[in-house]
Amino acid sequence: MFDQYLIRKDSLHNVVEDGKVTGFKFAVRIADYRGCFLSLHNGYYINCDGVEYPKDLQRFEINGKPPRTFDEIKTCVWEHWNYDDEGWVYVTKEGGLAPGKHVIGLQQSILAQYGYMPWDEEWVKNPPVPGSGAGSGKTAVICQFELELQND
Amino acid sequence: MGIKRGVSLYSYQQAQFFKKMDWKDMIREVHDNLKTDGIEIIDEATIRDYPFPSEQFIYDFREYMARYNMKAVTMDIYLDVHQFRDHVMNYREAAERLKNDIRLAAKLGFANVRPLCLVPIEVIEMALPVAEECNVRMGKEIHAPLPIFKGNKQQPKHGMAAALDFRMAEQILELADKTGSKHVGLVPDFGIFQHHPSQVAIDYAKRHAKNPEVIDWILENSKDYTLDEMPVVLDEKFPNHGLDAGTVERMSLHEMSGDPEDLKKIIPYIVSMHGKFYQMTEIPGKPGQYEDKSIDYETPMRVLRENGFEGYIDSEYEGQRDQQDMGYEKLPDEVEEVRRHHEMLKRLSEG
Amino acid sequence: MAIKRGVSLYSYQQAQFFKQMDWKAMIREVREHLGTDGIEIIDEATIRDYPFPSEQFIYDFREYMARYNMKAVTMDIYMDVHQFRDHVMNIQEVAERLKNDIRLAAKLGFANVRPLCAVPIEAIELALPTAEKYNVRMGKEIHAPMPIKPRKYNEENRGMRRTMDFRMAEQILELADRTGSKHVGLVPDFGIFQHSPSQVAIDYAKRHAKKPEAVDFIRENCTSYTKDEMVRVVNEKYPDSGLTEMTVEQMWLHRSCAEPEDLIDIIPYIVSMHGKFYQMTEIPGKPGQYEDKSIDYENPIRILRENGFDGYIDSEYEGQRSQQDMGYENLPNEIEEVRRHHEMLKRLSGEA
Repeated sequence: MFDQYLIRKDSLHNVVEDGKVTGFKFAVRIADYRGCFLSLHNGYYINCDGVEYPKDLQRFEINGKPPRTFDEIKTCVWEHWNYDDEGWVYVTKEGGLAPGKHVIGLQQSILAQYGYMPWDEEWVKNPPVPGSGAGSGKTAVICQFELELQND
Repeated sequence: MGIKRGVSLYSYQQAQFFKKMDWKDMIREVHDNLKTDGIEIIDEATIRDYPFPSEQFIYDFREYMARYNMKAVTMDIYLDVHQFRDHVMNYREAAERLKNDIRLAAKLGFANVRPLCLVPIEVIEMALPVAEECNVRMGKEIHAPLPIFKGNKQQPKHGMAAALDFRMAEQILELADKTGSKHVGLVPDFGIFQHHPSQVAIDYAKRHAKNPEVIDWILENSKDYTLDEMPVVLDEKFPNHGLDAGTVERMSLHEMSGDPEDLKKIIPYIVSMHGKFYQMTEIPGKPGQYEDKSIDYETPMRVLRENGFEGYIDSEYEGQRDQQDMGYEKLPDEVEEVRRHHEMLKRLSEG
Repeated sequence: MAIKRGVSLYSYQQAQFFKQMDWKAMIREVREHLGTDGIEIIDEATIRDYPFPSEQFIYDFREYMARYNMKAVTMDIYMDVHQFRDHVMNIQEVAERLKNDIRLAAKLGFANVRPLCAVPIEAIELALPTAEKYNVRMGKEIHAPMPIKPRKYNEENRGMRRTMDFRMAEQILELADRTGSKHVGLVPDFGIFQHSPSQVAIDYAKRHAKKPEAVDFIRENCTSYTKDEMVRVVNEKYPDSGLTEMTVEQMWLHRSCAEPEDLIDIIPYIVSMHGKFYQMTEIPGKPGQYEDKSIDYENPIRILRENGFDGYIDSEYEGQRSQQDMGYENLPNEIEEVRRHHEMLKRLSGEA
């Protein structure tokens, strides 16, 4: 679902913080037909030009608040990600990305469910690692995006 | 009277994603072009700031529905047991979410809510007093691969079919009869009358398969194997087929999970129905008439008609999902698909 | 059925003050350590942004109570007639506040509200249709020095409560009987069975008296004078004792304002009870068993049991207040006090 559209094509930017390029960011939508309680968001599988960037290098910006780590996001049990809204994924990478085209592989891990499942208790103790397919919503594949780094 | 037509705004999810239609546009489409009044929504897709929408949103929704003389039929609700992350919700907590959704549905003017088939019957029972108090009926979904009645059906041991309780509809009838409540019932989805994978799903699977011929082989031979047998046979025949279990399950579909005749017994308990479909194509030799080749609508609708069903069938278009791996110019037109679906609904409900 | 145990989160006010416990931690304490389910709250202490809490707060509260399978017994509500500052609220306005509190209690899932004894019976009657509609019972508090049934003794010792209507319980019974409503009743507080000042209150009074011996004098001679007489005698004998009339009253106490037997007639009208206490000490010779030496729990609970009371008694610890003039290290442990109180409640109510 929305395989080709989960990342907005013209949204890839480097992130500058305190005058230094600390990483890159891009704009995403939820791979589902409904929004979710923010706490359910368990991060992304991200592969940029062959390098994987695990969850602890990611932050998520939504609802007009500064980017938050997924440890913080996990505690937002009453906040909701509206279906209509774009979020920004921040990836820590010293120096950011070089100008030009980049290939990003993406799969979300959002622990939305339709009810009780056999793995529930396990997921409380050990949430799935993004990229396993768990929480991928209605888009089971890892989607590939060729994106041009935008000039700020 | 007769069968009533409605639309789940789920059908326009792609238009909403690309900001081509908002919920107000969708309501106007249903009113102006489909000439009917039934509206169904996905709570977390339509309600801004669910579960705490502003009073303005609630008033705006009721106002707009009144402006076009629409009927808020069913609100589709969910159960995310991992919301708190530090524990799996227990049944009482699941019931609190259900109750909160019922109160919200009442605020928005909905007659019914649709809890999912996976919601435990105990949770439904705990929420029943609130449903009564708010005068909102709970209709539990009968979604494929569930049958209406289990009968002699063998329940598969793997996949989605293994996680569901095939006696779901029976449990609901039992609860309704035990309590004498009109506020608990069923929402059968026409997906239970799907007898073949849709062409759009076949095409998607082939585009993503390492070896598309494996898909053809499944389609040709699915009748000879059970859902549990098929993956084993495939692994032997095509050791490196690379297909995930979900795809194999979908492509193996060769019989309806529900028996249209079983509808007779549940009609008094039907709260509303989901008109699931994937692709409406013109019936050869009948210009302007459409069908979904993968789902039997004719038989169930005859049974419903003959047995006096007077509730809503709400269109639920789902074929867009299988085409969004392609470029923008190849995306289907949801508005057109739903219009075709209503041509069919109108025709079949008149007999 | 039998007597049920609960806790008013009022008991943990000091822990809340010092941010050692929030309401969720309190609920867990009641479930996990006291092994019971009754929860009572003070509206303006627990409800964030009272009287207009967010929908999120309401959902969060119901959710958390459901998670631990708790019962929202009673919400304690108030009446501030000076809210608008340019006029004193009239009875209709008082009833509006009461009605709003009832609706709020219903939203939070509470079975009862507790209006204070000072709320005029007319305001209670004005709010009764709302209580019926939302299925929330109003239990008017019988708080010391109010008796259940007034006797000569009570009239002689009105002290500072000269304007208080001691026929309150009677008025409530009359209203309930006249309307046939189950939604109006009483919340008797065990403070009405207090028969002497608690040790923590005596210690506090002495720490703050210019002449601590005046306190000893009151204790030694309390049975010889009425309340009003005692105030006069102390002023004559210790002109510069520094004791306020309130303190003299407290220290003079030697007999409870209510008779436990009077409970029998009001049991059908009891909505829930307040288990007021000040200090739980070990009963000599009975390790692990506790009592509050200043309050009779034994007789009232025996009478409640014998007469089939099966409602909640919610602990209301209040002794912390008399010790907060001291350093942090001398502050009492509310959690331990309430645990001891529940040892007693369990034992006296015959819970296995």
